[in-house]
Order: sequence, then C-alpha cells, then structure tokens
Amino acid sequence: MQGFDVNKQGFDVNKIVQVSPTAHAQSAEITQWQIVNDMKIAVGFEGADIEKYRKKVLGVTDVSCLARYGVKGPQAAQWLADHEIAIPANSNSWTMCDQKTLVMRLGSSEFLLEDQWGGGACKQLAADSSRQANVYKVARADAAFILSGSAVLNLLSELCAIDLSEQSLSSKEVVMTQVAGISATVLRQTIAGEPVYRLWCDGTYGAYMWQVLLDIAVELGGGAVGLAQYQN
Amino acid sequence: MKLLNCPINGTRPLSEFIFGGEYRVAPDQDSCSDAQWAAYVHNRNGSPGDKKEWWYHSPSGTWFIAERNTLTDKVSRTYLLSNANLNPALESAQ
Repeated sequence: MQGFDVNKQGFDVNKIVQVSPTAHAQSAEITQWQIVNDMKIAVGFEGADIEKYRKKVLGVTDVSCLARYGVKGPQAAQWLADHEIAIPANSNSWTMCDQKTLVMRLGSSEFLLEDQWGGGACKQLAADSSRQANVYKVARADAAFILSGSAVLNLLSELCAIDLSEQSLSSKEVVMTQVAGISATVLRQTIAGEPVYRLWCDGTYGAYMWQVLLDIAVELGGGAVGLAQYQN
Repeated sequence: MKLLNCPINGTRPLSEFIFGGEYRVAPDQDSCSDAQWAAYVHNRNGSPGDKKEWWYHSPSGTWFIAERNTLTDKVSRTYLLSNANLNPALESAQ
C-alpha cells in the first residue's frame, strides 16, 4: 500500500493562519483585517473617528487574538509561582502580574492567563514543555471581547441576570455566569485609563456572541470598534 | 426567578445550574451482597422529603451538594463535598 505523503498535497500546517472565532459574523462589514499574534482579526470598521465615538458610547471590540494560557490542578498555584507569576490570593479574582499579563483565578485551583498588549507570560509558559505532577494545562479557544462606553451596563443588564455595576462587582472580582444564555467570564478592567468590561466565552459561540452584543450596541447608539483603537 | 446559592460563586439564577441527581453513598462492593449492590444500581428513592442532591454550576464547572426538600422545593444549604459537614438526619434516612 502506498504511503500518504502530506507534502504532496501542498499543505503546511505551519502556514495556516488562525481566524478569530467571531470572524464569521463580521465578514460582511469588515473594512480592515490584520494578523495579530498569528490570528486574523478585525482592526478597523468604519474609520477612526466613528470608532472613537462608539468607544465612548458603547463599543464592542474583538480581542480574541490576545495570547491565553490555562492551567489547573492542586499544584497549579505553586507552578505559576515557580515561574514568577503573581497570582490572586482569592478565588474568583484577578490581578495583573509584572509580565503585563492578566491572571484570573477561576475557583481555587484553576487559572486563566491572558497577555495584554506587550505582555509575555503566556508565551513564556507555552514554551515550557516540562511536565509536573498535579499541574494540567487547559487548552483555551476563547472568544474575548472588550465592552466600553457609558452605556455598557445597559447592554449587560439586557444579557445577564447578575448585577455587574461597580457597586456590586468589585474591581478585582471575576464573575463566571451566563451572558446571552451561554457560559461566560466577566470582569471590570481599566485599559489606558478607561474603565471597560472584559468578556470571554467559548470560541464556538464567538460569532453568536459578537452578533448579540453588536445588535444591542447599535440599538443603544454604539457599535463595532476595531482592535486598532486599543493597539496604541 | 428561582435562585440557588453556589458555594463558590454565590447566589445565581437557577438557569445557571444543572441537576445531577441524588447524592448516594455506594455500598462497599467487596463486602456487600448482590442484593445490596443491585438495589444501589437500580433503585431510587422517589418519596418526597429532605434529600441531598448533586448540582452543577455550569459557567464555572462547580459540582456541589444541595440539601433540598423535594416536597416544598426549599433548599436548606449548599456546600462542596470536600467541605461536607453531612447532615446526620439525612444520612440515616438513606
């Protein structure tokens, strides 16, 4: 029997560019794509001035391209500490470590890390191929969003049963709940001096979540904001 | 809206939870009789009353125990099994 040679197919997995999990819902309106962190993602929609306005009213931005790393297990906290990554002391809270990486503690022994702009902890951890007992890597394929603007709580109150206002959601708290009927993780964060909400859900719901968020954002006077508005 | 208290995530709408069945302690399979094992595998206690039940908070992946009266649908307390301070009255009822 003749062997199957993948090289003859002209197919190289290393050359595949991952596409944002929300891209399917965006393709009709995208004005500008860019490859960021090896992922094709929307960086612009209607022009900078319009997007700056939307950002202040109610902006929805896809940031699925930010590198993420999940780890869990009884020794996960110690393993992260061994890699000089600061972790939150309490369950369901987050911190920003020295490597400019967001570190979320989901429950007591599970962590989700996300490199922010200029962050490097996730790449550092991904490069570590050593194995340790009671430390388990969790493959992440999230759709991730930034929700900004003065009307953001109106949007969240339409989609989530939990009160996510500043009075109820403390600044370092992580909430795992349902948003638009699907499991999601939510927190409040400040990016470049602006308070925003962050939202993560499974990537397979990315297009759905984008569509739902955008429908409401447009109703409330906002809309899609490209990644470029946060890259600088 | 019905609410349930997750021991990790706090009070949430019931729609965030999935029922996991009654919490039951398996008999020792090395020493129990066939009849005891068959009863454990096949029989369920359907009478209304105070029960210990598995519940799952799906957004966070948290399994926990809820003590619930299945007649009145009142939940008296919820806790993680690892922190279980099991109710002796419920234990003896099983």
